[in-house]
Parts: sequence; C-alpha cells; structure tokens
Amino acid sequence: MKFAPLILKHLRRNWFRTLSTVLAMAVCIFLICTLQTVVDAVNYGLHLGNASHLVTRHYVSLVFNLPNSYKNKIAAIPGVQNTTIVNWFGGMYRGDMKYFFPNMAVEPEAFLQIYPEIMLPEDQKQAWFHDGRGCIVGRKLAEKWSWKVGDHFQLESFIPPYRVGKPFDFIVDGIYDTDTVKYPGTDLSAMYFNYKYLYEATGQRAGIGTLTLLIDDPKNAGRISKAIDAEFENSDVQTKTETEQAFRASFIAMAGNLALLLNGIGLAVAFTILLVTANTMSIAVRERQQEIGVLKTLGFPSGLVMALILIEALLLGLMGGALGLILAGGAIHALPNVPFIGDVVRQFPGLGLSPKIVTYGLGAALLLGLLAGLVPALLAYRARITEVLRQV
Amino acid sequence: MSATEVATKTGAVSVQNVRKFYQRDSMQIKVLDGLNLEVPQGEFLALMGPSGSGKTTLLNLIAGIDRATSGRVVVAGTELGPLSEGELAKWRSRNVGFIFQFYNLIPVLNALENVELPLLLSPLSKRERRERAMTALRIVGLADRSKHYPRQLSGGQEQRVAIARAVVTDPTVLVADEPTGDLDAQSAEEILDLMQTFNQEFGKTIVMVTHDPRAAARAHVQRHLDKGVLTN
Repeated sequence: MKFAPLILKHLRRNWFRTLSTVLAMAVCIFLICTLQTVVDAVNYGLHLGNASHLVTRHYVSLVFNLPNSYKNKIAAIPGVQNTTIVNWFGGMYRGDMKYFFPNMAVEPEAFLQIYPEIMLPEDQKQAWFHDGRGCIVGRKLAEKWSWKVGDHFQLESFIPPYRVGKPFDFIVDGIYDTDTVKYPGTDLSAMYFNYKYLYEATGQRAGIGTLTLLIDDPKNAGRISKAIDAEFENSDVQTKTETEQAFRASFIAMAGNLALLLNGIGLAVAFTILLVTANTMSIAVRERQQEIGVLKTLGFPSGLVMALILIEALLLGLMGGALGLILAGGAIHALPNVPFIGDVVRQFPGLGLSPKIVTYGLGAALLLGLLAGLVPALLAYRARITEVLRQV
Repeated sequence: MSATEVATKTGAVSVQNVRKFYQRDSMQIKVLDGLNLEVPQGEFLALMGPSGSGKTTLLNLIAGIDRATSGRVVVAGTELGPLSEGELAKWRSRNVGFIFQFYNLIPVLNALENVELPLLLSPLSKRERRERAMTALRIVGLADRSKHYPRQLSGGQEQRVAIARAVVTDPTVLVADEPTGDLDAQSAEEILDLMQTFNQEFGKTIVMVTHDPRAAARAHVQRHLDKGVLTN
C-alpha cells in the first residue's frame, strides 16, 4: 500500500494517455461482454424452444410462403397432433418503424393449444376466437401503450403482399400473461391476430409463412420432419421442417455461427487493443528509464520495480474493465429499446450482464493489462542502472 | 560488530587492485586498471580527471551500482563483489546516498515524497517516514517547499532536495557525481556548503567526482584519475 501513491501519480502523470488507454480497454471489454451476453442470450433462447414443436416453411427461404393447401396435408401426417399458421405480419404501429413490435397472424384456437404459455382469461379467449379483427397483446406491450381490452389500434405492414392500401384495424380482445417460472422465454411484448383476417384482407393472397406443429413425441421429430418434407419433395414448392429450436437458430442468423462470429470479433478487438496498450505501456516505461535507474540506485530491488509497473498495468486494465462493464451494462439495458434490434433482442429472456460475464470481462481486462505490462516490466527488471542513467 | 565499526577500523571505502573492463562488440575497453583507493571514515574526497578517465565508473563501483571485473571493493565494512543483485540493492538502500549531476528527482512526486522515497524500503510507519523526510528537508533549508514539485523548484533547490533524499536513510557514505555541474555559481556554493555540513557535522564520508576546481577545493583530499589509474 505504501507504494500506491507512486503508482497512482504515475497514472496521473500523462492523464490523456492514461485516459485513452483506459478507454481503449473499456471499448474492448464493452464489446466482449456485450457480444458474449447476446451470444449467451441467443443460446439460452434456443434451448427454450419446445421439443414437441416442429416448424415447416418454404425450403428456399422464409421470404416465400407455402400454399394454404399444405396445412391439411401436413396435419394428416402420422404423429402431427395440431398445427397453426404463424405468419410474421411486419405491421408498423403509427406508421413508424420506431414503434415496431412483433406481430403475427395465427390461428387462435390451435395457437393457444400449441402454446399453453400464452395465458388468457376464458372470456378473452372466447372473444378472440369469435372476433375477426380481434387480437391479443402481451402484458408488457399493453402496459407500454396503455391498451385495455376493447381498445382499437391500427397496423400497416411493410411486407408487400400484406400492404393493401390501408392499415389493418385491430381490437384488443385479450391481454395475455405467462408463468415466468414455467415458461421463462415467453415474449410479453408481442401481438397475435387471426390469420383469417389477413387472408381475407389480402384478397386470399396470403399463404403460409410458417406452420408450427405439435407432435406426439419429441423422439419422433426426425421421422415426422422427414415425412413432411418427403411429402412435398416432388412438388413445385418444397418444404423444410425442423425443430422449433433449430428454426429459431436459423431465424437468428444461424446462431451457431453467430457465436463464432461474435467471439471472433471480440478476440480480434481484444488482440488489437492488447497491441495498442502494450505499445503505450512500453512508451510510458521507456520515458521513465531515468526513474527506473534512480529507483534501483536508491535500493529498490528489480523485482519490486517490475511489480510496480505490472500493478500499474493491472490498474489500467481494472479501470478499463470496470468502465467497459458499466458501458456494457448500459448498452444491454438500452438494447431492447433500440428500433429494430430491440425487437429481436426482446425475444431473449433474461438479457443482462450475468455474474459469469462480469467475471469474464474483469478477467479479460486484467489479463490484457498483465500482458500489456509484461514486456515493459521485464525490460525494467533487466535494466542496468549504469546503462539507463548514462542515457539521461 | 556493526558495519560502521568495521568501517572505522578499515576505512569507509577500500578499493583494492580493481580492474574494470567494458566489452564493446569485439573490443575490450579498459576503464580501471589495478586501482587502489582508501577513504577513511569521515573523509571528504574529490575525484578529478579528464573525461573518460574512469571517475564515474569508480564512483559507481563504490556506490554498488556496478561491479568490478576483478579486485575487491569494500564499502561500509561490506565486500560488495560476492553480494547478489538483491543483496546489493538492500545494501545500497542502507549504506549509500547518491547525488546525481542532474538531480534525478521523480517529477510526479513532490519534494517531501521524493525525500521519503528511499524510506519506503524501510519498515518505518508512514508518520515516521514523513517526520524523517521533513527533518531532512529542514536541514537542507527547504521545509517550506515540501509540497512543491520538481518543476516548481530551481536547479539549486532540486539538488538540495536530492541531497535530502540521499541522507534521509542516514547512510555511511555519500557519493556525488558532479553535484554542481548543472548549477550556477551561487547555487553551487550553497550545495558545497551543504555537503561540507554533512561531512563535518554529521560525519558523512563523501566521495565526489568533479571537474570544478572550486568544488574540489572544498574536499579534504583531491585525487586525480587518468586512464584508469590514480596519478596522485
């Protein structure tokens, strides 16, 4: 502790350099922690997919729809217990993307049977089943816009086939909740409405975006998927059937590769910052050759001189790490409110800086500091008094 | 028997048949050649000689910041040759005070902190360290400048702080390398007065390298070095 003032005063000596080094470290830790948090959330979200759910879609891309006639054919395949169309509507509230929230056209009765996590009072369910323009909204969404049952609002889709020259009118028939313990990944910021409304409003041009299936046993998922895809193998429109988990993975930009990509970015940034910081530390120590010579002349052992420089580097790492974590915490907190990104991010349950990520971030910051300080500290350790003082 | 007692008996500094060579690429440069020097306890010795004569090298050997190629260097009762780097550092912190030509104060520390620096290696408490450092500053006449940073002091004041730093651990020997070389005449006189005070009133043995005859005149003994050999 008695050497603390010496270390701290050196850090304050060139405050601009210290600040820029700390900021560089902070950016690095911010990126690593934010990316890692998103990757963790994506992975967590993927595992929440129900193993009894399969999703069938156009073989080529989600952009293309399946013919409506496929629904009954798929429902007839052994092992399929229930089906619901789930079409991403892409509706904009108040005609502005910044107010965007997920909204899907579904088949109400089948949808609620397949997704028991969507919990509604019975009277609201019945109202929705019988109201062509009715919709249900999640509790968070309702609170955000102060919607009550019976309220009206309009959405206008940005997807060309669903643009019919005027906005779609909706009536809030129900506000759904969930059991967050049993179903932690449920999105309470979404809105669901009746597919029939979409089908009729578009002049019966709407097809099936995705068809979600409830199957009898998760063990049969492979067999049923193959059977469905085989059914349409020789038709004009082929299908791709996969588990809900796999579908989410592909939907979120191939999450498996996403983790690799994000970690790669994090590592590249960390390595760059390491080089910059190591260079900065080297310059700082080179400027202090005279002082190192003086300290050694006064009797400071080489090990102590080396330790002082390493502690200084670790402090830089610690400050950068702490600042980076604060920035990451702020960014992750703000992310759900960012237009577009927020809509995706809100799908991830429990998005936040976990103790694991905090430990990881601080560990990375300290490691960066240590590595950056190692070479200058070794140079100081090996510096011969007569040589460094002669250079003065 | 304490180091000081041994020093009284054997002299504060004893340099016996010391040789010092430097290797520059394939060339071996002879700096000191079988040099002998005895400095009794309490003596004020001035080492003079032309540039490259080996004055600073000899001073570095006495201060324990360089090692002889051969021969013995005994300072304050300790033979320095056999000491490890760590032992030598510890020995320096207790037995030698070094005064540089360019003061070499740490710019981020104020005068008091600079003087306190060598005491950080001692087991003294913070309060004791501060008291000792203030006493040293008081002796060199800079108690009122204790919070000033080196950049806020004149050259003469900086050198006085450096002297306070050199004496704060109460070393047996003070070594000074051109202590007035960077100062104006008046400041140089003040520094030499101060060194004389430490020699006469506090009994410090001083070995000073200088080019300045006026500085050398303050010493008890003047020795001349030329091409690594003492000529008088």
